[in-house]
Amino acid sequence: MNNRKIFYIVWAFLIGCILFGGFLGIYTIGKATGEYSYELAIPVIGGTVIGSLFIMLFSRWKKKRNGNVPQIDERTYIMLQRYFMIVLYVVLVGSGAALIILYSIGVRTIETGILIVCMMGLYMSIIFGAFVAKRL
Amino acid sequence: MKVINHIKEIRQKRGITQVKLAEDLQITRQTVNAIEKNKYNPSLELALKLIKYFDVPIEELFYLEDSKGE
Repeated sequence: MNNRKIFYIVWAFLIGCILFGGFLGIYTIGKATGEYSYELAIPVIGGTVIGSLFIMLFSRWKKKRNGNVPQIDERTYIMLQRYFMIVLYVVLVGSGAALIILYSIGVRTIETGILIVCMMGLYMSIIFGAFVAKRL
Repeated sequence: MKVINHIKEIRQKRGITQVKLAEDLQITRQTVNAIEKNKYNPSLELALKLIKYFDVPIEELFYLEDSKGE
């Protein structure tokens, strides 16, 4: 499989995940309130399309500016490897510590909604950190 | 022992930019910068590519810090 094919497959998968997440959100809100607001699909699709266009235009502009310089190389792999190794231990120890602290202050149950928000924050910060590590 | 290199001097002497070097060797500009500042030791493959690119003997491009005077 050539790189271009892999690129399109990854791109389609990511867009699929974004759209699925958006529609899942609409479904969850609908289930909770009893009213499915399908007009929310417009910002979900619109946001995905505008975001994808923005990224495509930005990468084209970057390619024009930097020429044929690759985005990643051997050093990028090493940097990301180190970064994810640190992330693994921070998340393992951090989540354990957070649970112990919560238990010690009297929290006995965790709402799944709060867990989703916490996980989203965690994922976003990990992804942002990965971009920073890639650029170093 | 730290590995030191003369890539920056040789590159500048030949009038090659960091971007051109990165483009020719298919590495990022950040990697070129990190190698030139001795913050990153390239892999053997990349080191051999650099030697071939500049067409210089290995000892002229890379040496160990304490063997500078030899």
